[in-house]
Amino acid sequence: MVVVNVIIGACAGTLASTLLSVLPGLHVYNVIGLLVMLQLTLASHGLTVGPEVYLPFMTGMIVGWSLLNTIPAVLLGAPDESALFTVLPGQKYLMFGRGYEGTMITGVGGLGAVILLVCVVGPLAPRLLPPVQEVMRPHMHWILWIIITYILMSEWPKGGNWGPAGWRKFMDAWRSLGAGLLTFLLAALLGFILLYRSPVSSAVAFQNIMPAFVGLFAVPWCLVNMLSGTRIPRQHLTESLDILPEHVLRGVGAGGLGGGLAAFFPVVTGGVGGLLAGHATAQRDERVFLLSQGVSKLVYYSGAFLLLFVPGLGITRGGGAWMVRTLHTAGTYGDYFMVLAAMALSGAIAFLLMDPLTRSVIRLIEKVDYRVASAVALAIISALVYAVTGWIGLGIAAVATGIGLNPVLFGSRRLNCLGILLLPIACNMSGVGHHVAAILGLVK
Amino acid sequence: MKGIAHFISGVAAASFFPWSIRAAQDGNPLYLVLGGAFGLLPDTMDFKFYRFFYPHEIYVDPDPRQPDPQQIADAIAEGMKRALREKKTIRVKLNTIRLGADFWRQYGIRFDAEKGEVSVAIGPVVNTGQVPIPGTLERERTASAALPCRIVQTYDAVTTVDIFDGPTFAFEPSGDNEVTIHFLPWHRHFTHSFTLAAAWALLGWAIWSWKAAVVIFLGYSIHILEDQLGFMGSNLFYPFTRKRRAGLHLMRSADALPNFATVWTACLLIFWNLVRYGENLLHRISCADLLIYGGILPLGAFYLLLRLARRWGGRVEDRDLDLSSEWGDPLIG
Repeated sequence: MVVVNVIIGACAGTLASTLLSVLPGLHVYNVIGLLVMLQLTLASHGLTVGPEVYLPFMTGMIVGWSLLNTIPAVLLGAPDESALFTVLPGQKYLMFGRGYEGTMITGVGGLGAVILLVCVVGPLAPRLLPPVQEVMRPHMHWILWIIITYILMSEWPKGGNWGPAGWRKFMDAWRSLGAGLLTFLLAALLGFILLYRSPVSSAVAFQNIMPAFVGLFAVPWCLVNMLSGTRIPRQHLTESLDILPEHVLRGVGAGGLGGGLAAFFPVVTGGVGGLLAGHATAQRDERVFLLSQGVSKLVYYSGAFLLLFVPGLGITRGGGAWMVRTLHTAGTYGDYFMVLAAMALSGAIAFLLMDPLTRSVIRLIEKVDYRVASAVALAIISALVYAVTGWIGLGIAAVATGIGLNPVLFGSRRLNCLGILLLPIACNMSGVGHHVAAILGLVK
Repeated sequence: MKGIAHFISGVAAASFFPWSIRAAQDGNPLYLVLGGAFGLLPDTMDFKFYRFFYPHEIYVDPDPRQPDPQQIADAIAEGMKRALREKKTIRVKLNTIRLGADFWRQYGIRFDAEKGEVSVAIGPVVNTGQVPIPGTLERERTASAALPCRIVQTYDAVTTVDIFDGPTFAFEPSGDNEVTIHFLPWHRHFTHSFTLAAAWALLGWAIWSWKAAVVIFLGYSIHILEDQLGFMGSNLFYPFTRKRRAGLHLMRSADALPNFATVWTACLLIFWNLVRYGENLLHRISCADLLIYGGILPLGAFYLLLRLARRWGGRVEDRDLDLSSEWGDPLIG
């Protein structure tokens, strides 16, 4: 019976993620948060759903969403944070009429990530990760500072390429760099405010950061799409993908490293992991890049969730795992293998769903004006923010949008928006968060 | 090398000191951050500051609508003539040809010492990933100009110009009717010297402590040493030395394998140092464990899979790594 429950749960979760993932801006963790609240409410009325049902269901949602969310990220240009590196080459594919190919290549990366998690990480994690975690545990906070330093130092000027030497050239080059630093600092300030004086009701504490993320990452793209009046060329549906096994292997290697790093270290997200792995492996081929981002995103979300269940490890990473922890105490091999099985199943189903879903969305964007599609996406996102966090949430999203537009307008890295998490959490982990909050006047 | 390789090497160097790890553990990551930051600083100084103030005598600005290879070749030859005539170094900047937000016209320059000429070929339109756009090169247009003298090349004969910033050549009169060509004269000059490393270290000592000075010097020096593995070399003891000392020609800065190997090795070293200085660890991790599980097994498995993938599906054609990666790549090292 447990096996049947797992299969049904994983399949249902994957199918639910189908709907979830094609709605731009809606994050799987928002829905898991609602499910957890629903489960707690049911439990208070004496109605319970067993973990052999909701764990595979949530696993299916996370795996399915992190694979299928590539579709709106590439075709609708409405990425979540972890997909922001996919968007640039992905949108290039779209503008060359190769949106289907770009989406499917990223999807192949996602499937590779499922295989990596189930066949490599699955058997090795219980043996290798606990000693690694024991060594790393006291050092997480300074590693975060190292990552912040690298992110801030590794953005290179894109301007200042023409004209005679001098301050004018220098200022032109530093326009984007300055905007990047300003974005990081403003996002960090917003992060401190949300962390210490959040105006969002404590009843929806799970969703505290959601309006800010929507404003930082999703809304700016919708606005830019609407204002720029982008016209999508006719999309070509190919019979095969222009990739070789070696591309896939390289993509899985780089993306696995990036996603693994993001899953293992607190606050490091898929976007950051993707950036570090991309630099470390010196990727230059766009296909490997797309593949690796598909891998990184799936390993980040699903891997972080899986870590909760690794026997003997005892760490919680990612919003999904934190929320599930309020319902269930994980740690047995039974749970671990159940989640791995659900991942394998939902990964296979989600990959099979990618082709028809991508074709459907392509048909849609060819018929519907891109501006209209972006406006609808923006309306859905705004409605969701309002439904979950009310007018206050919309206010936060509006402020975050102002910050999130900076990189879009000045051509700096959108990753700088992650200052909202990185700096406040790094300060807290180093024990100076409260002091900084006091300087900012957020606490006494 | 890429920035991340330099950066993580600096962190790895700092991690060898127990006081550095202990301070980080107690909430002060200063020494490790300084190691990484100064590991990247030489390139930061060059690419974010110095190059914008570096003057040129000749700017070559091809017409984006109809780039003329003859105009480019003539301008380069003229630069050499001026160097001979005026008996001073003449710096020529070749600008890139931007065609849109993500499109650039590629062109290549070849110095042929035997024929005594410089030839220029206008190439395809490429995107910012340096991938050619199909159908943008109907026929390659080339032109050449005779060089006025013998040339001594300190770098590769062929240079491709495409994305972001274009290269600079400095033509230095170096003998009777002879000019030495220096590629990117503003890069790896005074910023890549052990003397400056020592100066930064002294400043760090004044601001923080001798410990900061040690990690600053090591982080900065490791960058210089790593760059010395490549082609261009560095001006190692500026101002006592005036010229760059040629590198060992073992790798190019954009090569994937040495970059990845450096990053991986640095990560393993950092981890090993954390194990060495860790207290009350329940799990015992030996050096052999680290080598097997952190090195031999994952890299060996990847290598075997790579061979299988190549046997099964063919080998991915690695594009020739052109020199544009030495200056135009945003991930530059």
